[in-house]
Amino acid sequence: MELLIWLIPLLPFIGFLLNVFVIRRERTAGLVASGMVAAAFVVTLIAVGVLASMPPEERRIVSTAWEWINTGSFQVPFAIMFDPLTAVMALLITGVGALIHVYSIGYMHGDPRVVRYFAYLNLFVTMMLFLVMANNLLLLFLGWEGVGLCSFLLIGFWFERKTAGEAAVKAFVVNRIGDAAFILAMLAIFTYFGTLNFYSEGEGGALGFLERVGDIAGLRVGPNWQPIFVSTAISFLLLIGATGKSAQFPLFVWLPDAMAGPTPVSALIHAATMVTGGVYLMARTEPLFVASFTTQGWVTWIGALTALMAGTAAMAQWDIKRVLAYSTVSQLGFMVAACGMGAYVAAIFHLLTHGIFKALLFLAAGSVIHGTHDTQDMRRMGGLKDAMPVTFRTYLIGALALAGIFPLAGFWSKDEILAHAVGHGHTPIFIILFITSLFTAFYMGRQVALIFFGTQRDPSYHPHESPQVMTVPLIVLAVGAIIGGAINLPVLHWLTDWLEPVLHEQAGEFNLWLALIATIGAVGMGYLGWWIYTTNAAKIKIGGKDPIYRYSGDIWEGMAEAWYLDRLYQRTVVAGFERLSDFLARVFDPQGVDGLVMGVGRFFGGLANSLRAVQTGYVRTYALVFTVGVLLVIGFMLWIAR
Amino acid sequence: MELILFLITALIAIVGAVAMLVSRNAVHSALFLLLNFAAIAVLFLLLQAPFLFTIQLTVYAGAIMVLFLFVVMLLGAEKVEDTPDRIAWQQPLALLLGLALLVVSVVVGLGGATNPPPESEALIQFSDPRTLGALLFTDYLLPFEVTGFILLIAVIGVVVLNQRGRKI
Amino acid sequence: MVPTSYYVLLSAILFTIGVLGVLLRRNAIVIFMAVELMLNAANLALVAFARERLGVEAQVIVFFVITVAAAEVAVGLALLVAIFRTKRTADVDEVSTLKG
Repeated sequence: MELLIWLIPLLPFIGFLLNVFVIRRERTAGLVASGMVAAAFVVTLIAVGVLASMPPEERRIVSTAWEWINTGSFQVPFAIMFDPLTAVMALLITGVGALIHVYSIGYMHGDPRVVRYFAYLNLFVTMMLFLVMANNLLLLFLGWEGVGLCSFLLIGFWFERKTAGEAAVKAFVVNRIGDAAFILAMLAIFTYFGTLNFYSEGEGGALGFLERVGDIAGLRVGPNWQPIFVSTAISFLLLIGATGKSAQFPLFVWLPDAMAGPTPVSALIHAATMVTGGVYLMARTEPLFVASFTTQGWVTWIGALTALMAGTAAMAQWDIKRVLAYSTVSQLGFMVAACGMGAYVAAIFHLLTHGIFKALLFLAAGSVIHGTHDTQDMRRMGGLKDAMPVTFRTYLIGALALAGIFPLAGFWSKDEILAHAVGHGHTPIFIILFITSLFTAFYMGRQVALIFFGTQRDPSYHPHESPQVMTVPLIVLAVGAIIGGAINLPVLHWLTDWLEPVLHEQAGEFNLWLALIATIGAVGMGYLGWWIYTTNAAKIKIGGKDPIYRYSGDIWEGMAEAWYLDRLYQRTVVAGFERLSDFLARVFDPQGVDGLVMGVGRFFGGLANSLRAVQTGYVRTYALVFTVGVLLVIGFMLWIAR
Repeated sequence: MELILFLITALIAIVGAVAMLVSRNAVHSALFLLLNFAAIAVLFLLLQAPFLFTIQLTVYAGAIMVLFLFVVMLLGAEKVEDTPDRIAWQQPLALLLGLALLVVSVVVGLGGATNPPPESEALIQFSDPRTLGALLFTDYLLPFEVTGFILLIAVIGVVVLNQRGRKI
Repeated sequence: MVPTSYYVLLSAILFTIGVLGVLLRRNAIVIFMAVELMLNAANLALVAFARERLGVEAQVIVFFVITVAAAEVAVGLALLVAIFRTKRTADVDEVSTLKG
């Protein structure tokens, strides 16, 4: 069994190695990469089966490969584990990952660097699996940074485009802020617990810090006039780490730009898996978060605020992928808010269903982009439903699932979060999230109308349906988006039971009235969005304004710019940094550093120039000097013997 | 008697050396140097070193000077100093230095204590070439062999240096 | 018997003339001759001291000096010939490509 769980991350890693060192042909690369991830999925299924056959309280397998770091009291084993929470994450990563790999074979066909692409993708899956399977924070951090690296490499995959390179750097730099906090959190955890392990290594091993959170109960740290609880400090630092990776306010600015990467990458990394790393982290370290009432408030409000900001931003985008990107940020906000309210199961549930239908939406959007010859501006689309029937139908299913229409996957998971907010008295949060969910329905209606209905506004291309290697994954994901909600139906609540050993949560009550109102609202707003943009289709011009702009005015501009958060950073942090760089590059380096270096060189050059006159090249002059030297030596000896 | 012989020989040696120094023609220089070497050979004889006298005449005056003359004539380098001296400024300086060197070496050479004149018995023993020969083949056997080796290397070196059609 | 100091004086004079020859003359062969003159001056002083101290070893050294001088002259003149072949001159001032 231990061998089995090691196979899960190792199979994609073997694929990575093969793609890096052995494979040179595009076709082999795609097949090997997809095959390895699919095999990992099968292994994960078997592992889940084994896990299910164990008694609920013993469902955790820990396996240590070797002592990774062993210096004095700081000991970190290279250990992975497999428990119910990891299991569902691994299933999502390998399952959706395999489908996206297959889809990539079609999408990336003809690209000059396909082998490299699949190598990165396999490395990403490996790192993501290490992230969710790690039994200590440091190994989790390895995966965390590994997926960050792959994200960087894949966003900048088409590095010939300047925007891609810049977006890659932006994603990396913004993530550094969160990662710095993550490292601080790790140091704090080691200081107070003396270990980074989550759980004990096997029977009788030392307990991990998640099993000993009680140790720091009531412990305070900081200046005397304002001490804070240690649990608050640690969990808040972890929260900052999560906001970086999961693109939460105020660090979500990198995710929309990350759409410069290939679309399957957006689907895998920036929708389904990597960006959920922060949510997974919070769910995994749930005991720490629950221990701090203060941090939980912050988590809730950051999540809700992000959901609303990104939801409104998504409404005003023209780029097909940016709509989905802001939508992803918004849905991640839902999950984070759910974590903050203590509804961890709901958060994971939404994470899983969102992973499926958002991957579906991204892949379908990729199919649209593929079929329209790299068109991303929705103003140039329209009326594609006849040319791309499969893409249209699967996209519609994804959109309905995201909008939260009964009985698709998104309805169940979103409803569980909203129900928890109502049921536990988080009324302001509930109102924000409810409004956001209405916005979600609206912008999905808008997007479907803009892409598939009306007439084609840009006649310069002939849309065509994508090949089967791309549409089959779409259909599979669409089926998942329809039935995905079944894993945690209100009465059966399989997922809640499955996660009970990890998250210790009881199933929430199903709120029929809420479900009814939410569905009616979603249908209404979705229809409204569709109606506005189909009836006003004639008014949409390429490069023109949105029809709603006439009524809303500049608020629409603000939404399109995501409330100017990006520009704020641009004007403050980035501009200041650019000034500093400019000063260093134009003044300090050429005059200060170069001046010093060149000055030293010039000094010795001048010295040498004046001294070279001594070297006349005339042997007789040397002999003369030699004679002088001889005389001096003899004179000195005479003076000594005097 | 001996002193007069010494003075004449010394005068010849100095004249030969100075003439070598000032001759414009390298062949003349070589011949004056030959004269100087011969005078020094005679001085060796005066100093009870008959073996060195022979060596001086055969090796120096005979072999080495012939080599010099041969090379001068081979290269046609009798007169190379017809062009103006580019570093003429160093001539007075050289004379000054020469004077200083002379003064210093005289001071050094005459500074040592003088021994009483040796007995004639010992002097005869000293001047016997057999003594020198015995020393060469006993105590100085290794340097002797090494010298032979050096000569061999010199021969090979000369051949290699003047090989035609080969870059060194 | 002539005092050793006379010989030393003569040796000093000859040596100085040799040094002057090196410093003043430009003909490489004459410079070489001046070097030989210096060697001889040194030999003379050595033999004079040998007689004063009755040390046969000094004579042995002179013997070696003369032998090695022969080797040295052979190699030195060969070098001169080689230089002459490339430079077409025996003027040492012409061989000044090593100037800074």
